[in-house]
Amino acid sequence: MNDSPESSLVAPALLLELPAADRLTPAPPEFRQSRLHRLADRWSHLVFLTCSLLVVALIGGILFFLSARGLAAFLPLAGNTGRTLSFAEVFLSTDWAPSSDHFGILPFLGGSLAVTGLALLLAAPTGILTGVFIAKLAPSWMRSLMRQVMDLLVGIPSVVYGIFGLTIILPLVSHSFLKDAPASGFAISAMILSVMIVPTIVSLATDAFEGLPLSLDEGSQALGSSRWQAIWHVLIPAARPRLLTACVLGLGRAIGEAMAVQMVIGNNPQWIALMRDFTDRAPFLRALFTPAATLTTELVQELPNTPTGSPWNNVLFAMGLLLYLLTMVLILATRRFGRSEVA
Amino acid sequence: MRAIATLRSPSRAKHVDKLMRGVLWVIALGFILVLAVFVGAILHQGWPVLRLDFLTRMPETLEAGGGIKPQIFNSIYLVLLSLGFSLPIGLGAGVYMAEYAGKGRTLNFFRLCIETLAATPSIVLALFGMIVFVQTLGWSFSIRSGALTLALLNIPVITRVTEVSLMGVPRELKEASYGLGATKLQTILKVALPYAATGILTGLVLTAGRAFGESAILVFTAGTNTSAIFPDFRLTVPGETLSVHLWYVTSDGTLPDAREIAAGTAAVMILVLLILNLSVRFLDRAIRRRTR
Repeated sequence: MNDSPESSLVAPALLLELPAADRLTPAPPEFRQSRLHRLADRWSHLVFLTCSLLVVALIGGILFFLSARGLAAFLPLAGNTGRTLSFAEVFLSTDWAPSSDHFGILPFLGGSLAVTGLALLLAAPTGILTGVFIAKLAPSWMRSLMRQVMDLLVGIPSVVYGIFGLTIILPLVSHSFLKDAPASGFAISAMILSVMIVPTIVSLATDAFEGLPLSLDEGSQALGSSRWQAIWHVLIPAARPRLLTACVLGLGRAIGEAMAVQMVIGNNPQWIALMRDFTDRAPFLRALFTPAATLTTELVQELPNTPTGSPWNNVLFAMGLLLYLLTMVLILATRRFGRSEVA
Repeated sequence: MRAIATLRSPSRAKHVDKLMRGVLWVIALGFILVLAVFVGAILHQGWPVLRLDFLTRMPETLEAGGGIKPQIFNSIYLVLLSLGFSLPIGLGAGVYMAEYAGKGRTLNFFRLCIETLAATPSIVLALFGMIVFVQTLGWSFSIRSGALTLALLNIPVITRVTEVSLMGVPRELKEASYGLGATKLQTILKVALPYAATGILTGLVLTAGRAFGESAILVFTAGTNTSAIFPDFRLTVPGETLSVHLWYVTSDGTLPDAREIAAGTAAVMILVLLILNLSVRFLDRAIRRRTR
């Protein structure tokens, strides 16, 4: 932006010079062209800058519009046609019953954390170990095969993951060891999510291990360590900041995933009461198969059916705002892990 | 001290080493198995449905036997439109970050923004698109709302790919260009971008695949209906894509053959993605051959 006054000062000078030079010696066409090119060169900078600034504006724009609608739930803003809610009754209550004026979103927050946590529990160790395998142990044909497998896994659309869970895994689990009770809930959602986020973790973990100096490897082998000892005691600790980044980005992907989870989780905002009921009568494992809901699934499920401006609608937008803020926090967190310090 | 303790019993270490190598192989092969079962099951389920008239018939709303012709058209149309919107911006931003931004705070800040946009959940982008295009601009559920919101998903990917590809251009090439008297813009347009083009193209194909599979954004911006006319190029009509159709028929439940339609649609999507991935591999090989 601060280049514009400078270039606008130079540009007219160039234009004025041109006819004078023309009169003295008829300039060859290439010469004039190159003047034009120099002008274009000066101004093109601004075009590219505008594109970048547009991205920055988008970040701000999303924040602005989501805040305008999300905060309308708590403030008497223009977008609010119902009553204003207090922060406590939204963020500190487990009671979600919009038709009787209760808007506690804790069940969804809890659901999101539970599903994401479980998914990360499955995906982080396997993803990091696969990363180390690709970077340090695998023969080259296996390496390229694994890369292709991960590329395909990350490319499969979330609805296809969802339909796979819905039509294949759910009936299978339900018939095989749940005595035909519905299997939808945390366990299956987390399983599917973990497959969806593993490629992210694997590719970042592979980069992390490949980025380590070879001397670490050689040093530990010279001290007589086995391959695994070198990995466990030297390479993984050395790559830890970047592995943490990989996990956080995987977490971000998992928490924002909507469609696949919506198709298999059962969409039950009252899951806390149901789970208490289940675990009173059945073993704890049954709790994993409680139909539940998360921030994203509830948005998909209810947003199309709510009137604009109602507290219900506004609270849903507030949930979206929460997801967005969470993303920002996660991205800033990866910065703090000092990715640049290793890279 | 710790190193000595762990290295004390070499025979045990050897056993652990063997065991853990085995574990790593099992995990890796496990992922290959997961993918194989996944793709196999989807194709197996969808195969009986995949006949030509499934692909070339209009969908039904209440009866069995509907096809997915308009959804295929809408998917392609929306992906192309969204790429059309996002390509200039993504390219521009990528060029700026690779060639103009330098190495300091500016670059860091733009990178942070790109990363944030890339990590933003698609459901959040969907809400944004719904507020801005569907409601504020009053475009309702339409192809244009969908394409513009989908573009937000593509922009960070294209930017990143452009930046990385431009970073890979050898310095000698650019210096030679400057040495011949070319301006920076000429060097970028005529030397750096053509050199990086295959890399950018690979990224574009991957972006197209991602946009093709996206559903959350389009449910809230392009809607779950299709125009009755085929092919309908108007930007103001709702445009349900394959992925949205797949989700909608399973969650709506008014169609008697929803399960078959979903299975067939899923198989079509998997096939398209396999083809896209294969073409990316060919592109990739072309790049390697040239740079070797």
